[in-house]
Formats: sequence, C-alpha cells, structure tokens
Amino acid sequence: MFQVVRARWRRWVNRRLPRTDKQVFSQRNIFILPTGSGVVFGVLLLVMLITGINYQNSLIYLLTFLLGAIMVAAMHQTHRNLSGLELTLIQTGEAFAGEPVPFRFRAMSGKYDAVAIALRSGDQTLEQQHVPARQTADLSIALTSVQRGYFRPDRIRVETRFPFGLLKAWSWVRPLSCGIVYPRPVAAPEAVSTVTDGDDQASARSVDGNDHADIRPWREGDLSQRVLWKRYARTGQMVTADWEGEQGSPQWLDYHAFPGVDTELRISYLTAQVLERGRSGTPFGLNLPGQVIEPDSGPAHLTRCLRSLAVFGKEKPREEASVPFGTRASAGDTTTASGEQG
Amino acid sequence: MMRSKSIATRSVAMPPADVTALPTRALVWLVGSFGLLLTPQWDRLPLWLIAACIVLAAWRYLAQNGRVRLPGKWQKTGIMLVVIAIYVATVQGRFTVDTAASFFVLAVGLKWLETRTERDFYVLFFILVYLATVNFLFHQEIYWAVINLVAVGLLLVGLQALNAPELPRTMASGWRRLGKMLLKTLPIVILLFVFFPRMAPLWSVPMVSGQARTGISDTMRPGDISNLAQSSERAFRATFGGELPAYRDRYWRGLILDYLDGETWRQGEKEPLGRPGRVAVDGGAGNLEPGDYDVLLEPTDQIWAFALEGSRAVSDNVLRSEDSLFRFRRPADTSVRYRMALTPEEPATDSPRVPDNVRRYLQLPAEGNPRARALAKRLAETATSDGAVVDALLSRFREQAYFYTLRPPAMPDNGIDTLLFDAKRGFCAHYAGAATFVFRAAGIPARVVVGYQGGDPGMDNAYLIIRQYDAHAWVEVWLQGQGWVRVDPTAAIAPSRIESGLRDAVAEEGSFLEDDWASPQRYGDLAMLQWASLQLDRINYHWQRWVVGYQGQSQLDLMSRLPGGMGLRELGYFTAAVVGFALLIAGLVSAWHLRRSGPRDPVARLLGQWHRMCERSGIPVRQGETPSRLAERIAAVRPGAENTAHSFARLVNKHYYGSGSDVAPRVVRNAMRRLLTTMGKQLSPPGRRSGPPRETAVRVKG
Repeated sequence: MFQVVRARWRRWVNRRLPRTDKQVFSQRNIFILPTGSGVVFGVLLLVMLITGINYQNSLIYLLTFLLGAIMVAAMHQTHRNLSGLELTLIQTGEAFAGEPVPFRFRAMSGKYDAVAIALRSGDQTLEQQHVPARQTADLSIALTSVQRGYFRPDRIRVETRFPFGLLKAWSWVRPLSCGIVYPRPVAAPEAVSTVTDGDDQASARSVDGNDHADIRPWREGDLSQRVLWKRYARTGQMVTADWEGEQGSPQWLDYHAFPGVDTELRISYLTAQVLERGRSGTPFGLNLPGQVIEPDSGPAHLTRCLRSLAVFGKEKPREEASVPFGTRASAGDTTTASGEQG
Repeated sequence: MMRSKSIATRSVAMPPADVTALPTRALVWLVGSFGLLLTPQWDRLPLWLIAACIVLAAWRYLAQNGRVRLPGKWQKTGIMLVVIAIYVATVQGRFTVDTAASFFVLAVGLKWLETRTERDFYVLFFILVYLATVNFLFHQEIYWAVINLVAVGLLLVGLQALNAPELPRTMASGWRRLGKMLLKTLPIVILLFVFFPRMAPLWSVPMVSGQARTGISDTMRPGDISNLAQSSERAFRATFGGELPAYRDRYWRGLILDYLDGETWRQGEKEPLGRPGRVAVDGGAGNLEPGDYDVLLEPTDQIWAFALEGSRAVSDNVLRSEDSLFRFRRPADTSVRYRMALTPEEPATDSPRVPDNVRRYLQLPAEGNPRARALAKRLAETATSDGAVVDALLSRFREQAYFYTLRPPAMPDNGIDTLLFDAKRGFCAHYAGAATFVFRAAGIPARVVVGYQGGDPGMDNAYLIIRQYDAHAWVEVWLQGQGWVRVDPTAAIAPSRIESGLRDAVAEEGSFLEDDWASPQRYGDLAMLQWASLQLDRINYHWQRWVVGYQGQSQLDLMSRLPGGMGLRELGYFTAAVVGFALLIAGLVSAWHLRRSGPRDPVARLLGQWHRMCERSGIPVRQGETPSRLAERIAAVRPGAENTAHSFARLVNKHYYGSGSDVAPRVVRNAMRRLLTTMGKQLSPPGRRSGPPRETAVRVKG
C-alpha cells in the first residue's frame, strides 16, 4: 500500500520535474512542509493560545499571534529562498565506481537571495550554500555509484530550511546529462599479468612468423591486424589468426584474454591493466568486442580507454517518460516562456 | 516517501554529538535571550536559582570555546540531583505558581548542560518561548512586555544563525529580515488581536501566588501602614467620567476591621474564600458617563475592590458586599479593571436603626489600656450625644500636641494608652485604632476602615494614580439617625495629609519614601523627573487599558460599536474571514510574483506565445533558433502562414536588432499581436490534434 503511494508520488513528481540540465524553481515545482521542529512549534502555539485563553491574558494572545504570523512569513521566506533559483548542470564528472562523481551546477539566484541551499542525493550532501540575489555560484556535489557505466542520479534534492528551520522548502533537479563511472579496477590474475614486458618487435615477429597460429573464422571484435587479408583476397573468407604469442601481449589489452571470466570481472581486470599502463606510460591499445582503440599513450588516451570500459555494454539512458506537449516551459526553458501559462 | 526522505536527511544533517556542532553565534543569542527572560522573574526566583542558572549557562558558553568540558553522564546526574535537592529543600512542599515557575526555570538551567545538537537547540527554543509566555502571566507592564518580545526576537535571530551559520552579517541581516517579516504580518496580527474571540477560560486555573504582595492586608497592627508608606508602588489608577473629586474626598474604602485582638485589628468575620478561577479582568467598557469612574487595579491576590464612598458597582465583575464594600468573585491575580458610579445621595441604604450586630462593633479586649478606657468613660459622661463624644475626641487630637509621623516610637505595652497620653506621635493606623478603641469604650459602635486616601493626577489630569504610600486607615462610627459616619482622626492631627497627601504631611520630617531611593516620587521637586515618570505612567496606563485589558468585555463593546453588532459567533466567523482574506492576498501576491518571474519584456512574451503556438501546431521550436529560421520552417510546413510568419520574425528582429525606430513600441506590439492571431488561425486547422512525434519534443526542450 505504502509502496504504491510512494511510486505514484514519485511518478507525479517526475512528471512535474522532467529531466533537464537547467532547472528553474518556482511555485510550480517547490514543495514546502513544516519540519519536525515546525510541527512541535505549531503545538507550542496551540498550548500558548490555550494558556492565553485560560488566563485571559491579552499579551499571550498577542505573542501567539505574532509568532504564528512570523511562521507564515517564514513560509514565504523559505519558499522565496528557492524561488527563482536556477540550477544549470555545467559539468558531469567521471570517477571510479565507489568513488564520488562530482556534478557541478551553476546556481543563479533570482530576485532574492538564495540562502542556505543544500543539495542532497542519497547520503551525499552539499551543505549550506548562499547565492546572493542575481549572482551566480558554482556548487559541486559528489555522488557515488558502485556500478560502472553512465551515471545519472535520479534526482538531486535541493532543500532550504532557512530562516528558522521550522519549515523546509525543497525541490529536485533531475539532470539529463550523465556522468561516467569507470569500472572498479581489479588486479588481473598472475598468469596474465606476468607477460607484460614484451616489446613491439616480439609481437611483430610473431605476427610475421605465422608459426603457431590458430586459424578461426572472423568474429566481431577481432582486430583488423589479425585478419588474414591475403586469404580474404584469395577466398573471400574472413579468417582470423590467433597468435599464441599474442596472449598477454603487452601492447594490446584484450577482452578475450580472460577466458571463462565473468564480463564485469574482465572489465575490471582490463581497467586495472589500463591504469597500470597509464601509470608507466607504456603505449597500449584496447580491444573490446565491437570496439578497438588503437595503441597510444597519454592521459587523453587513458581517459578514452576508461570511458570505453565504463560504458561497455551499456546504453546511454533515455528519458523514460517523454514530455507531453505544452509543457515546454516547465521543462525548464524559461528564458523565453516561463510563467506564461500560469 | 516524504517520511523516509526526511529521516535520511536528519541522519545526514546531524553531526555526531559534539559540542562545537552548534554555531557559536546561535548559542550566544540563545544565552542572551535566556538572560533577558530571567529578568522579569528576578523578584520571584530564589537567589540561588538565578546564580545556578548563570553558572550553568556560562558553563555551556565556555564549553563552546573549548575552555571547559561539558560534564559527563555521572557528573551531570550529580549536578542535577544536587540542584533538585536544593530546590526541594527550599520549596518544602509548597506548591504555588512561584514554585512552579522556578521549577520551570530550573529545568531550563539544567538543559544548558545538555545542549549539544540542533535538536537540543530547538528544545531550548521552545522552552524559552514558553518562558516568555509565563513571564506575561506575571508582568504585563509595557517595559516587561518589550523585554519579553526582544528576548523572543533574539531567539528567532538565533535560529537564523543556527540555520545559516556561514551567512555573513548574520546579526544585522537577521534582525532586518525579522523586522521585514513583522512589518508584513503586522496588519494580520492586529486584526487577529482585535477580532479573535476572547473566550471564557476553558478550565479553571488558579494562579494565586504564594509571594506576599505589597499592599494593605486584612490585619492591622499599629506599625503596618507606615511600612506601606515607604513604597511608591502603584496600587491602582482611577479614571473619572466627570471632574476629579477633591483631594479630601478621595477616600477609597477597601475593607473593614472590626475585631480587636490585643494589639491587632482583624476582620471579625472571615471573608468567604474566593473560588478558584479567574476574575473577569476587564469590567467597564465603553464611554464613561459623568459620575462613573474606572479603576484599574494592580494585582493584589485579594478579592477587595477599592471604591470611593457612596459608590455603586457598574461592571459585573464586582459585587457589593455588606458594609458598602465591594468584592471580586475571585482574587485579582492580574490587573483588573472595574467600573463604579458615584451616587450623589444614598439616604436609605444604611438604615438609621441600630445595626443588628451592634455588639460586633462594640467588641473590645477584656483588659488593657485602662487610661484610654477612663478617657472614654469621661467623654461619654460629659457629652450629650454620641456625636458629641466624637467631636470631643477629635478636638482633643486637634488641640493637643499630637504628631503625625512616619517614625513613631515603639509602644510595646498598652500601646493605645502610650499613644494617647505619653508619646502622642503616631501614624494613621495608630490614631485610627486608638480612636476606635475609645469610641467603643464609650459605647459607640465603631470600626476601622482600611483603604487608600488621596491619589495624584497623572499626565494631563486624565486619571488618578493611587500609590501604596496613599494607604490609609480611618474610623467609621454609627450615629443614631445618621448611620455609619466617617471620622478621620488623621484629618484632625495632620490636615495636610488629607488635603494634599503624605508628601506634604511629613515634609518637615523628611521621611517621605526615605528608604526608596529609586522611586521618582521621592524627588517630587525635580520637574523633569516627574514629567518623565508621568509620561511613562501614561504610556503604561494606555497599554494596560487598551492592550493588556483588551478582553471579552472590551471586545464586545468594540464590536457593538461596529456596524452590524457582532457576537462571539460572528467574531469567530470574522476571524476566519481575516485569515482567509490574508491567505487570499498572499496567494494573489505570489501569483503576481509568478507572472513577474517570466520575461518582463513584452516582445519576449509575444515571442514565447509564438513559440508555443508553433509547438501546438506541430512545428517544434529548436533551442536557440532565430525567428527568421523558424519562419522559414513554418513556411516549409504550412505555406499558408508564410507571410505572417516572416512579418512577425521581421518585427522581432527589428525590435531587438534594428536601430531606433520612429514607430511607437506599443504600435509595433499591437501589430505583432494581430499577426499572432492571424497566424494562429493559419496554423491551427490541419494538425490541431496530431502533434509531432514525442522524441522531437524531448530533444527540443534540452
């Protein structure tokens, strides 16, 4: 029962807050409720009112009304903290699984100061940022994912309890862009990692030598160098040679080098190897089914390999619920049309 | 969903229990507010408790800076037990409002050692707000009210500091923010205050303090009233519908003492105990008729209502009891307003026949004061009537060297004899007691009346202020054919006391308020000080009259003057209407803000309309697309709209990028509107319902 309500609520919120990299908060998408302290404060006001009635004390009435009115004003104030604030996702981060992935937002406040804004997703919090009126500030929240691949937080809660902490106003940002989570590196087993100090000549020689080749039909992901092009020209059959000497080739990191190992673990092995090569500065190439990265070295190459490993076999997330028509403004494109429909 | 979310939040927001988790600035405000809230309590709290509170709060503050450590669990328990033991020892099982209040303060004091987390901070916040409420029960003068409200303000600023510790200039911006909130909501607060129905108490709550209040009491020993004469505390204020009565006629009767017990005068019959509950505090609403007067009595914890001789009750919170005295139904534990009227002549109420209980007024102790008894016998024998006896005694007071003094000698044995024949120096209570004794010994029914005599006009003679030093005792004798007649021996000895007050009566002696250094009344010759004191009193008077005293009666009176005369029920509706109206206004304001939050530029708004129109009719607008580009695409899809779209795009471009045009912007905008209308018709028919594929829409909004 609770689950159903919860799912329904979630769907409703998601409809109201479509995925976008630029979220402007307004009456449409700000939620406000008393905090626990706020509820207690309400009870206190009631007790005070009863005290005032029982003791026929006008000043207690006055104090009660004053505090009650201030509570209402605080509601306005708390709401105003968020209202008009514009959060733009300006950079998505990349990190290893289990490590924090930074998401950088540029916050631009509207007509009023945005005071004590906290970003939160899961158990990660960015506490207390202040953005004075009509100014910008960059906020960066680090989120963790234990799974490699495209990482797009479902929603990041943006909350403020200022001024009194008796009320909380909140909303969510649901980023459209994804961060990338690299696989967790796992050191490859001994047998493989020992054969790392070969050189170009050795590998070239074995290719040339044609000695201990296993000939098999081409399958997707095979390196083009290994296709026996002469035979292809002759017979029209794509045949690949698996060179014994190539197993554990120092230059090529191969997805197929770990027979019988689970995909994720293979990816982790490869990641560890990529990192190791990156550290030592050795040029290397990466061979994944369906994708080949030619040997190279340097940080850009390293990043490219890591990204490929991260998203290997993953699809870029799509917007699950497309936006119906006429909601362009609430989708965040407020520069032209916000507030027109309200 | 919400719940789980907020719990997760809490677990994140709550740092481990560590002293520095609370921002120092927030803590400072909290401590400051506590200090302020203690000040109204200073006279009713035991000294040790105040000291303990200061120590505990200081401890907490020092711990913030890391100079000391907060006590551990055992130490804390020890401190708690010790303090509570002291409390129990001093209270000794008495349960009054005072002990309750001090227990409350004690709890706050102990809480300081436990204030580690945000949650504790809120607990203290709530307690301190309620402490402010409790303070209002005891003190309602405007300055205490200001102190209380400032303390609550400090709390609210402290909360702001707690919730945004990093915000620069917390204090200034905190007060400014609070002030703005107050200004915005003040109209609503005032409306609620005026119109919120003042209901009768939901259940009865006695609040009689155990603490003795300054004021007259129901017994009178010879020295009692001269103690009161050292106090310049206000007893009550009286506002008259007509002229102020002459000074010598300002006899405020309070109670009658008719039983002499050795040296002490008492009430022969105990007053019926006031039932627990509340006295209506605002009798007397509406305009004062000539002859009416309102009395605003400071709390006495007694049921006595003071009234001029020859008054009748107008407001229904005072009752006439026997002997033409007036009583509240319940003790006045807060200031009470009541209305009386002077009846010019009241011939028949006290019938001139001998009172039934005449023996009561002839009661004397069996022995003692023989010379006074002898004097009485002599007077009774020589005089022809009771009236003559009275006159004879007064002449004796007038002619012989009796002195009116605030420094009478001690008269331990046979005090009346000593006073009348040896010392001849005394205060009103001495003379009133002695005169009653003599009259009774002479066989004339007589009684001591205690109350106040006099009263100084406040600012602009708007009302009289009667202070404790105006306390007075005089005599009433029962004369055949006249009933009870006032006889004031003090008037015979020191006429200035009756004509112009105690200050003049003891001017030579210099004993007026000699122990009360701080009282402005003591320095009657400093005109500036008097003026300031009276101004302050006037402000306070109006505060008490119109704000503190605004209760059921006043409210109903005010409502009855408004058109449509409202009762309690209508008031309830009205309050609901006020709140609803306020919400409506707030909604309108925020809707207006919402409108305003869109582009201000009217052309940008028109552009937005155009974009939406395009999307509705199946031509998705791309991010960052120029108007001309869009117009071209429209032309491609709907050739019919080509001209209008291009014209519109041209106008937009001209507005933003063209050089200053000689056409008025309003005209241009109207042209654009017309184009939009036309375009709407041109675009709508074919694809009204179909709409473009969804993916496009998603991509577009990116």
